[in-house]
Amino acid sequence: MIKRFIDLEWKQFKRASYFQKGLAIKILLILGALYFGGIAIMLGGGMFFIFKKILPDIDPVITINNFLVYWILFELMIRYFMQQLPVMNIKPLMLIPIKRNTVIHYLLGKTTLSFFNFISLFIFLPFSIVLMAQGYPPVNVIFWFVSLMSITMSLNFINFLINKSNSVFYVMASLLIVFVGLEFYNIFKISEPLGIVFNALYNNPVFVIIPILIMVGMYYANFKFIRKGFYLDDTVSKKIKEVNATDLSWMNRFGSLAPFLKNDVKMIWRNARPKQVMLMSFFFLFYGLVFYTQEIYMEMPAVLAFASIFITGGFLLSFGQLVPSWDSEYYKMLMSQNIPYRKYLESKWYLMVVAVTFSFILSTPYLYFGWKIYAMITAGALFNIGLNTFITLFGGALNRVPIELNVKAKAFSNTNGFNPTQLLIALPKMVLPMILFYIPYKLFNFNAGLIVLALSGVLGIVFKSFFLNKIEGIYQKGKYKTIAAFSEKN
Amino acid sequence: MITVSNLSKSYNGVEVLKLENLDIPKGQSFGLVGNNGAGKTTFFSLLLDLIQPSSGHIKNKEVLVHESEDWKPFTSSFIDESFLIGYLTAEEYFYFIGELRNQNKSDVDNLLAQFEDFFHDEIIGKKKYLRDLSKGNQKKVGIVAALIGNPEVIILDEPFANLDPTTQIRLKQILKDLAKKQGVTILVSSHDLMHVTDVCERIVVLEKGELVKDLATSEATLKELEMHFTN
Repeated sequence: MIKRFIDLEWKQFKRASYFQKGLAIKILLILGALYFGGIAIMLGGGMFFIFKKILPDIDPVITINNFLVYWILFELMIRYFMQQLPVMNIKPLMLIPIKRNTVIHYLLGKTTLSFFNFISLFIFLPFSIVLMAQGYPPVNVIFWFVSLMSITMSLNFINFLINKSNSVFYVMASLLIVFVGLEFYNIFKISEPLGIVFNALYNNPVFVIIPILIMVGMYYANFKFIRKGFYLDDTVSKKIKEVNATDLSWMNRFGSLAPFLKNDVKMIWRNARPKQVMLMSFFFLFYGLVFYTQEIYMEMPAVLAFASIFITGGFLLSFGQLVPSWDSEYYKMLMSQNIPYRKYLESKWYLMVVAVTFSFILSTPYLYFGWKIYAMITAGALFNIGLNTFITLFGGALNRVPIELNVKAKAFSNTNGFNPTQLLIALPKMVLPMILFYIPYKLFNFNAGLIVLALSGVLGIVFKSFFLNKIEGIYQKGKYKTIAAFSEKN
Repeated sequence: MITVSNLSKSYNGVEVLKLENLDIPKGQSFGLVGNNGAGKTTFFSLLLDLIQPSSGHIKNKEVLVHESEDWKPFTSSFIDESFLIGYLTAEEYFYFIGELRNQNKSDVDNLLAQFEDFFHDEIIGKKKYLRDLSKGNQKKVGIVAALIGNPEVIILDEPFANLDPTTQIRLKQILKDLAKKQGVTILVSSHDLMHVTDVCERIVVLEKGELVKDLATSEATLKELEMHFTN
């Protein structure tokens, strides 16, 4: 029976829409996977030496053990937002004479092959090998590694239980924030007691039994959960959420744009996919930490300009590139309704402007890196508002991939925005600000670069109507193609 | 009201619709019947400028549909579930459509009050997103939404499908009442010959994209249609 399942699975994989893309995309995807896998392996292998260098007095194993809890919480968060529940495919199997238990075991077994389980493996396997090469006792290392893998698998199963309940998620998220805060301000270091626990796992290989038991327990809990809900109106069906209607009438001040803006807010708030994108765009805020902390980049202001665009442009880049796909599910209606295209585009523009402004406010802590950096972020924000919004909307006109709103994108199948035209369109969004900054910077000085970058954004705002008119024309022209593409189900 | 001239639509060289001349006067209730693939939905899609005609044109109140958008304010339609916004509740959807058609909240409420029977207490105040409603209830929402804002032309693609018997009968009454109203042109397609002869003053039969029958509804129409589809 299992063989049949695997056969079905293989067909599903082979015939999946994202696999039917061009060869170039496939190669890019494989390169991407190799890249991330490679990074994880490098990180795992290098971690020992990095920690040894930063904290020479402490054994790297102890350092890792102390911070392991954050890795675990982080992994759980990522899983929550990215990992899909496999139960959706049960439906066709319900009517076929196969034992329920077999199906459930199979489904749960399948999740062990999830991409997310391999991240841990790729990091901790090389790390463990390095440890052994460095003369650490193999028995301890191997059992510690087994413990970690059991924890990863436990997370894998816990995630499915969390996914069924929002409250569990919020509890987890607030715990994470509270403990990071306490740790950061040296009030209470949760990592210490938990560090002791993980160190104990390392020091006494016998304790490996605990994470293994937890894993088995979680597996069993999941099994029981799915078993109990193996009916059409239960686990298998998508959950029907009670509506939480919020009063958005204060948005009516936006006049004729209000209906669209209200709709967009609801769209983001009530659907899995846009929520996921929101979260991703939040992470963009931290991009600066990568660049501004490195000495090398300080002498490469063009790169800093690039980073500044990212800090305030997270939402713009990740949400904006999928306009008008967000409305693909009901695009036909929009097109036959009493709607001027212009209004539709303008409301999307405002949404992006608000998001950039909001990110800009959130980026105030970057003042820590000095006025120069902050001025750059400001100029970048202006560029984002004035020009990048239009480039993004223009790019959207060429984007005809339908989106299923309430389905999370799977890791590595999220190729929706991933086609050659999209890549080409993404280039000017990042390269243009670098050029705008770099040329005056080379000719005159740093400030001249900033001014040109900021002015280009202001100009864009001044010529807003002109740009919107042009973009509207392009959308109008592509209307039939877009409708046809959106009504294709994938 | 609606004038079709030399209209044709083909995909990859295969002609799926070819209508030389069709004139639908203002206020007529017009029924379209035909087997699967006869071109009913294609015709409605052309009427709503969702696809481009291969040749010819449609005029809606003297507006060239594929060139100007001026027909939109007085035309409304419900073709399929993709006309609904899944993440809204029924009320939110009605108000959204109302806002698009310049109707304020109380205008919409007044209209909805007339359809209390039709909704059968399954739509309003249910705290459910449209995507979570059953197919039949989704259809009810779509049909009523198409009546918001006093449209002059109403296009409904298979409105009777997926509805329960009670609702079908109520829908017939609604459509008849609309037809009585001065100047409202209704275009309905259906697979149910009985309903369509009941509701429409004129019935056009499409077959493989071509008009094969154009009947003014009378006692004999149903028989004639049944005969036609038996062969």
